[in-house]
Amino acid sequence: MAYHILLVDDAPELRRMVGELLEGAGYAVTLAADCAQARAAWARQRPDAALLDVMLPDGDGFALLGELRRDGGDVPVLFLSARDEDEARLQGLGLGADDYITKPFLPQELLLRLGAVLRRVYGGPAREVLRLGDTEVHWGPGTVRRADGTEATLTAKEYALLKKLAANRGNIVTIDALCEALWEGPMVGYENTLMVHIRRLREKIEADPSHPKYLLTVRGLGYRLAREERP
Amino acid sequence: MRGRNLRRTLVAAGLVAASAVLVLILALGGLLAFIVASAGVSSSWNASVADLSAALTETEDGYTFTAADYLAEKELWAMLIDENGDVVWQQGKPEDVPSHYTLADVASFTRWYLNDYPVQVRIRPDGLLVAGSPKGSTWKHPFILDTEVLATVPLWFAGLFLLALLCVLGLTALVLSRQFRREQRERDTARSDWINGVSHDIRTPLSMIMGYAGQLEAAPDLSPARREQAAVIRRQSQTLRELVNDLNLTMRLDYEMQPLRRGTLHPAALVRQVAADVLNGGLEEGYALEVDLPPEAEALTLEADGPLLRRALLNLVNNCVNHNPEGCSITLGARADGKFCVLWVEDDGGGTVPAPAKGGSALAADGGAAHGTGLKLVEQIAKSHSGGLELRAGARGVLGVVRIPL
Repeated sequence: MAYHILLVDDAPELRRMVGELLEGAGYAVTLAADCAQARAAWARQRPDAALLDVMLPDGDGFALLGELRRDGGDVPVLFLSARDEDEARLQGLGLGADDYITKPFLPQELLLRLGAVLRRVYGGPAREVLRLGDTEVHWGPGTVRRADGTEATLTAKEYALLKKLAANRGNIVTIDALCEALWEGPMVGYENTLMVHIRRLREKIEADPSHPKYLLTVRGLGYRLAREERP
Repeated sequence: MRGRNLRRTLVAAGLVAASAVLVLILALGGLLAFIVASAGVSSSWNASVADLSAALTETEDGYTFTAADYLAEKELWAMLIDENGDVVWQQGKPEDVPSHYTLADVASFTRWYLNDYPVQVRIRPDGLLVAGSPKGSTWKHPFILDTEVLATVPLWFAGLFLLALLCVLGLTALVLSRQFRREQRERDTARSDWINGVSHDIRTPLSMIMGYAGQLEAAPDLSPARREQAAVIRRQSQTLRELVNDLNLTMRLDYEMQPLRRGTLHPAALVRQVAADVLNGGLEEGYALEVDLPPEAEALTLEADGPLLRRALLNLVNNCVNHNPEGCSITLGARADGKFCVLWVEDDGGGTVPAPAKGGSALAADGGAAHGTGLKLVEQIAKSHSGGLELRAGARGVLGVVRIPL
């Protein structure tokens, strides 16, 4: 079942464009031009997520978030704002928005961030298995199943490492970001330990650990989990 | 703008000068008043004892006094003491005033009071004329001044004058600077509101341009040529977005509207992150990027605003890309240099360094180049961290160096 998104923005053309974009990506969309319409749609439709503009003709998106939160619990809310300073204001208010996107944005940026928030909140099938060629990583039990049928179990560090790389699949993740994911601190002194974990991880997920196809080193920067090659 | 400031400065200088002249006049007036008042110390009060003396004449029958009415009107009394100390004439003398005086009595009352009556005296050939006022009507005090002290009086006045002048100057400066600051703040607020408004109004239409261009770029039913055109629109609108963001941040730093959010930061990690961001964002063909971090750079820490420094490095990288449309190899790194942390970006395009501007800035007022907004922002970010930006010819191309105190 498609996720239902409530989009609140007072600019009609933007509303239409983002609406079409979301529908094109397979979401069901309800449009609202102001706080009043948003409240009505929220009560009637119970959407799975909301995209809110900050400046609305009859109120403020932040105040609206407070109301919706009281009414609808933990439904994820993303802000679309045209002002830089709104982000600081949002942090200052301590409102639990799930993401904050500054206009203008690329369609892909919006879809990626909305998708990430929805996956985080509701989970999804993509979370269960990571495919690396013939090798499958099953997140649930934390195991790696190779093409030859053998299985290996990931240690907690290897699991966290692979999770971080998979969440940014295709992108370089710096050694600092990886160390922070593993040890919640700066990387000073941990680099060699990180390399050990990487080597062991390669032994479990790569067919030829000396010539990795997926867990790639980016010299001087970090590592990258290569995307699945499309035939 | 500058003309108006100059005019205000001139007006302020005029005001200060006028205040100084006023102080001078007041001080001189005070001096004159003092001199006049001092001159009056020895003269008579209430009535002129000389006039009274003239009104008293000795005749064969005794004394004739022609100013009795005047005395009564002024509630005064008078008496004449002869050389033996006896009162030989009197007009309205109170009963508690004795009729005979010794030399000591006379010496006493001529300077002080006679039975608490303030008195004035005049020496006449036939004795001493004493004019008395009612008790409590006049305060008598001898004015005695050492001549050495008298000689320093001009110095005292000069000192007081200078003190008064300083006070006036200080007050004027305070009032004027407060006024200047207030006006400056009002102007800054108006300007920043305006820029905020404009950038806000640009962002929504730009969202539409970027959104539709992005969708067209990915539309499978369009020809590759049309999709490439859409890609150009998308890329240019992204450039416009960066410009709006830079403009906003420049203004916020200019008017100190953005407080630094300092935190402990590892420059080496920052450099790696910026490099990764650039590579993840998709560096165009023809460009290469690498980092150069010596081992000692790993241990460096800075108290700095991470997102701002990240922006500065990204802008320096973008500057390399913008100035080398044919492609180039970009290196970024960090190292310690004395008490400074140096973050640097260098390309190998052999381009020219923007000419230095007046006022010690590495950039001209317009940023030094067509893509100058980005570099101006780098300089502002460096300055907001008490550091600086230096652009110079490196070994292979342009070297941008941001120096931040450790």
